[in-house]
Amino acid sequence: MLKQHPTARFILQRGGWYLLTFFVAVAINFLLPRLGSANPVDIIMGRSSSGLSAEAAKEKEESYLKEFGLVKLDASGKILHNAAGKPIKRSTLEQFGNYVLMTFHGDLGTSFQKYPKKVTDVILQAVPWTIALQLPTIVLGWIIGNVLGALAAYKRGIFDKIFFPFAILLNSLPFFVFGMLLVYYFSVVLGWFPAMGGYAGELIPSFSLEFLGSAAYHYALPFFSIFLILAGGQAIGMRSMGIYELGTDYVKYAQWLGLKESRILAYIFRNAMLPQLTGLALSIGTMIGGALITEMIFSYPGLGMAMLTAIQNNDYPVIQGVTLIITTCVLIANFSVDILIGFLDPRVKAGLQMGGN
Amino acid sequence: MKMLRNLLKNPMFVIGMSLFLLSLLAALLGPIVHKVDLNRVAESYAPPGDGLLLGADNLGRDYISLLIKGLRSSLYVGFLAGIIATTFGTLIGIYGGFKGGWVDDILNVFTNLFIVIPQLVILILISASFKDGRSLTLIGLIIGCTGWTWSARSVRAQASALKSRDHISLARINGDGTLAIMIKHVLPYLLSYVFMVFIMQVASGILSESAISMIGLGPLDTQSLGVILNDAKANGALGDGIWWAFLPATVIITLTVFSLYLINTSMEGVFNPRLRD
Amino acid sequence: MRVTKLSVSGLPVALTVALSLLAGCKGNSAKDAGGFPRDQTLYLGGSQWGDPSTFNPLAESWQAAWPVGDRFNLMYEPLINYNSQTGQVEPLLGSLVSKSNDSIVIELNPAAKWSDGKPVTSEDVKFVYDLGRKYKDAATAYVTEFISQINVAKVGNTERLSFLVDKKGRNNPLVILDLLQAVRIVPAHIFQPLLDKNNGDLSAVKKLKVDSVPVVSGPYNLKTYSNQKIVLERRDDYWGNAALHAGQKPGPKYIIHPIFKDNNAFAIALQQGDLDASQTYIPRISVKAKDGVGTWYKKAPYFVPGSIPMLIINVTKEPLNDKAFRRAMAAAINYGDIKELAVSGYANDLKPGLIMPAGLEAKYYNEADAKAHAVAMGAASAKKILADAGYKSVFKADGSLDYMTDKTGKKLPSLSIKSPAGWSDWEAMIKIAVKSMREAGIDVREGFVDASLYWPAKPSGDFDILMDKPSASVTPSLPWSRFEAVMSSRNWAACGKSMNENQGRYNNPKAADYNPKVDSLLKAIPLLSDESALKKAYAELNDIFLDDQPAIPLVYLPEQFYEFSTKTWTGWPTEKNPSAPPQLPWVSAGIKTLWNLKAK
Repeated sequence: MLKQHPTARFILQRGGWYLLTFFVAVAINFLLPRLGSANPVDIIMGRSSSGLSAEAAKEKEESYLKEFGLVKLDASGKILHNAAGKPIKRSTLEQFGNYVLMTFHGDLGTSFQKYPKKVTDVILQAVPWTIALQLPTIVLGWIIGNVLGALAAYKRGIFDKIFFPFAILLNSLPFFVFGMLLVYYFSVVLGWFPAMGGYAGELIPSFSLEFLGSAAYHYALPFFSIFLILAGGQAIGMRSMGIYELGTDYVKYAQWLGLKESRILAYIFRNAMLPQLTGLALSIGTMIGGALITEMIFSYPGLGMAMLTAIQNNDYPVIQGVTLIITTCVLIANFSVDILIGFLDPRVKAGLQMGGN
Repeated sequence: MKMLRNLLKNPMFVIGMSLFLLSLLAALLGPIVHKVDLNRVAESYAPPGDGLLLGADNLGRDYISLLIKGLRSSLYVGFLAGIIATTFGTLIGIYGGFKGGWVDDILNVFTNLFIVIPQLVILILISASFKDGRSLTLIGLIIGCTGWTWSARSVRAQASALKSRDHISLARINGDGTLAIMIKHVLPYLLSYVFMVFIMQVASGILSESAISMIGLGPLDTQSLGVILNDAKANGALGDGIWWAFLPATVIITLTVFSLYLINTSMEGVFNPRLRD
Repeated sequence: MRVTKLSVSGLPVALTVALSLLAGCKGNSAKDAGGFPRDQTLYLGGSQWGDPSTFNPLAESWQAAWPVGDRFNLMYEPLINYNSQTGQVEPLLGSLVSKSNDSIVIELNPAAKWSDGKPVTSEDVKFVYDLGRKYKDAATAYVTEFISQINVAKVGNTERLSFLVDKKGRNNPLVILDLLQAVRIVPAHIFQPLLDKNNGDLSAVKKLKVDSVPVVSGPYNLKTYSNQKIVLERRDDYWGNAALHAGQKPGPKYIIHPIFKDNNAFAIALQQGDLDASQTYIPRISVKAKDGVGTWYKKAPYFVPGSIPMLIINVTKEPLNDKAFRRAMAAAINYGDIKELAVSGYANDLKPGLIMPAGLEAKYYNEADAKAHAVAMGAASAKKILADAGYKSVFKADGSLDYMTDKTGKKLPSLSIKSPAGWSDWEAMIKIAVKSMREAGIDVREGFVDASLYWPAKPSGDFDILMDKPSASVTPSLPWSRFEAVMSSRNWAACGKSMNENQGRYNNPKAADYNPKVDSLLKAIPLLSDESALKKAYAELNDIFLDDQPAIPLVYLPEQFYEFSTKTWTGWPTEKNPSAPPQLPWVSAGIKTLWNLKAK
């Protein structure tokens, strides 16, 4: 039956592989932190145990192990000890099983380091910042970059000769240094823009015009630090695609046929747009990973910072939670791109109809 | 040869190549021209003046020495990462793109796995297990092993386009095995493309290293351009307008990466005549 | 699929409009519109770096967010305040009546009240201190080693609490004083019912956030918080306004702690007047004076010394078990460079020993003694000590150190100094120390590791040399607590097991060269009250330290980097105006500053 619906089979096949990738990724993300030598309880104990007697320290350590679900408990909730008097740790498999079960119930666990904050709270509080920081930059950078690139491809001449190398130069700037330079010049020296924070300190988040204005104002420098470089990159890509298309036979043929200029342009940019669109989808998918350095410089409490502190403290639940989100978003983005190309690119469609790759 | 002549006619290539060679020379011959002395020679953040062309850092060390050492390290990491990433990416891309079918699907899963697992996680966890902590080599290895995914994708696209070409079919009819076809008929076509990929990977390796150092996860025992920038940031040089702490390093990174991008773009122009102006 | 062409000429217009809108907004946020007017708000920073997770006063100190963790006394208050400048105990919820080797007596202030109107009584005090007795995982569990019992006596309409020194336990009234100024009192009538509701399960109660109109006794209460900041609001019915401050209210109506992710943010905010005080390390602070940034001293060293970062040496490893080797290390380090370059000159010259030659400890510092026992400074002196002890240093052709051999000719392993990567002032100190030691022929290297590897290595002794700052806060038990942290053999355990002080494993009680004087002095000093006896005891202890050199102090750092901005608030304590100790107005006696601050 499926043989008669190549599209459906295509989607299912692709989807199947992505599902496999998802499970393997989740398992790896679970395993990796535990392979490291740094035990989260050891880290906490090392930080906070000065001056305690050996007895008290041992009690404390065991209470942490118990709270974090890292040791086996008996029926009454007491920790089981082995012959040497040390608490018996739960096996990785057992922990994994527990993790999967809890995740299906929507409970991503409790953070070790930010105890007793729940992982879902950590993520939900950080994600808006990350998205607010990156989504406008990515989308606007994409639009403006592609427009400029298309222009350069179409017009060529002086505009292209100056603009193109400049775009490449912009793209070579390390964006974090660029951010720091912007802060230095526009905030410290000129005082035009604020140097950090998501909104003015004295305001409370609300939907008032004043708050939104303040947020936009604080957003200016971080936005520009990423946007300019992103736009430059997009422009370069679009320009190459545009020039390539402009030189193709079908364009020449269409011109000889006397088709209207605007129509030819429409065909050209439809073709050139395809790889750019896939790039956009992928960027949006990976954006959830956070622009860590930008978040650090501007003190935006986004997902990048949350992940960094979690990894530094080997905070298993938060690492698992954040990587789960990243995995999900990236894979969905990739999957959508595959499907998108499948539908939009006639060559792929034709390939499907002919049966198999 | 004709290719080389074409390249040399392209102004972008000439500029890019010369800039990059300049950078390379500065790194390789720098210590001979200017004695690299990492001892304290001046006050903390002494401004550029007599004897110290680019001033001193927070520990009173000569910036030119630091920059030379840093450039060497950054180029080393860039090349190491570039070689590893290109090799990995190309092999996986060619094999997957050419073979197709479920081999391609498995390799896709493999590629996606590497995209999905954050580089940060791998970086911190692996460096935590090594006694020597984070060295330049380790960072180069990790950047290379996590940054190959896009080259695999691009090479795969090229390889699968080549698959249906006539000369491949001819080779198949002749009875050549897959491996032989890949090496004798596919690879030569892709060589120029792979070289461009390599250049991009080196550029991205240099940028990645400085990004990693800026987070504070850079090499722990040596200088690199990223470490210089991180030190400048950590010591508040930015807020005090101590431009010699971060501007020279930024310029060097930007120009080196810029030169690589120029080379790449000009090569693109040569291999695809339509992109030439 | 039509692609709509964007009008190119429209773009610059749109951008200009957007930018002008943003520029227009600048005017708005600078004014006093919005929730917290600038001239009524005090912005303090440097204590909260991560997302606030809980405001439960019973949670672990490191878990609770500012100002509930550590020993902040803005919301919950301890019984007494310690003034680190004058060394005096100042009254808060209670006042010090008497102190002896048997007990410390505190009289509760009958005016002390909770924010729900109920009085602060001995019930509340006993609740929090006895929590450690009942529950092994309470934050105050260690209290039981020091306090055997708390007796309550009524004198008139006031309650007197006698904290009995546990003679069978630690027998240490000094640490009890430490506890009295650090442990904050919580309302028993709120938390006891919570415990009962949870069947006496403390960990369940510890999980509560307690962030919604908590019942507090302090001058401020939690108003709101987010991942960006924590906001406190002044309590106008605070009991202390009438009882301790002659009816005055604190100047700022709101206190806000913004949460920055990067050290630079503090410096920039301070300069721009968006932050009123910070306790982060800001280099070249004198340059910022033109922006209204001030410190305790107007000139170097700008800050008042309070703690000593030092290299803790693992004396169980070869060749660190050799006293001569350690002394050579101490001699070789370039302390001048460390002071100047690593901490921007924020300290006076380092003197030998564990006693600070300044402030309250100065009376115990003896220059002559120091000279007599301390190792002579300088690379030449270090080389001589090494040579006399039979060590040889082999240098490479380019002058750099290759390796060392001991007196039998055996090649010695390279030693590494473990320190967390990313702490820039510590990194700079170690880099300079390593450089100067290598120049003198001592084979040490920097061993920067991630914090996740540093913290567990400390108690387990998994290091050659460890960078640490014991006794970081100024408390009544200094300088004894510094000696205890570095030299005490009380809980001596071999490497691999956990030790919470003396992580360098100095003075193994089972070894042949065990010096019982160290531990006997450490036990005796808290019980001495005669000044001359104390001087003698400290001198003896310090001399042993100087002779054995189990740790190498590197520089003097302040307890807190106390720096403030005068752009919005004036009245900050300084050397010329010592109305309070050099602390941000949120711990100990530093809190008095709040009543002295006036908006410009």
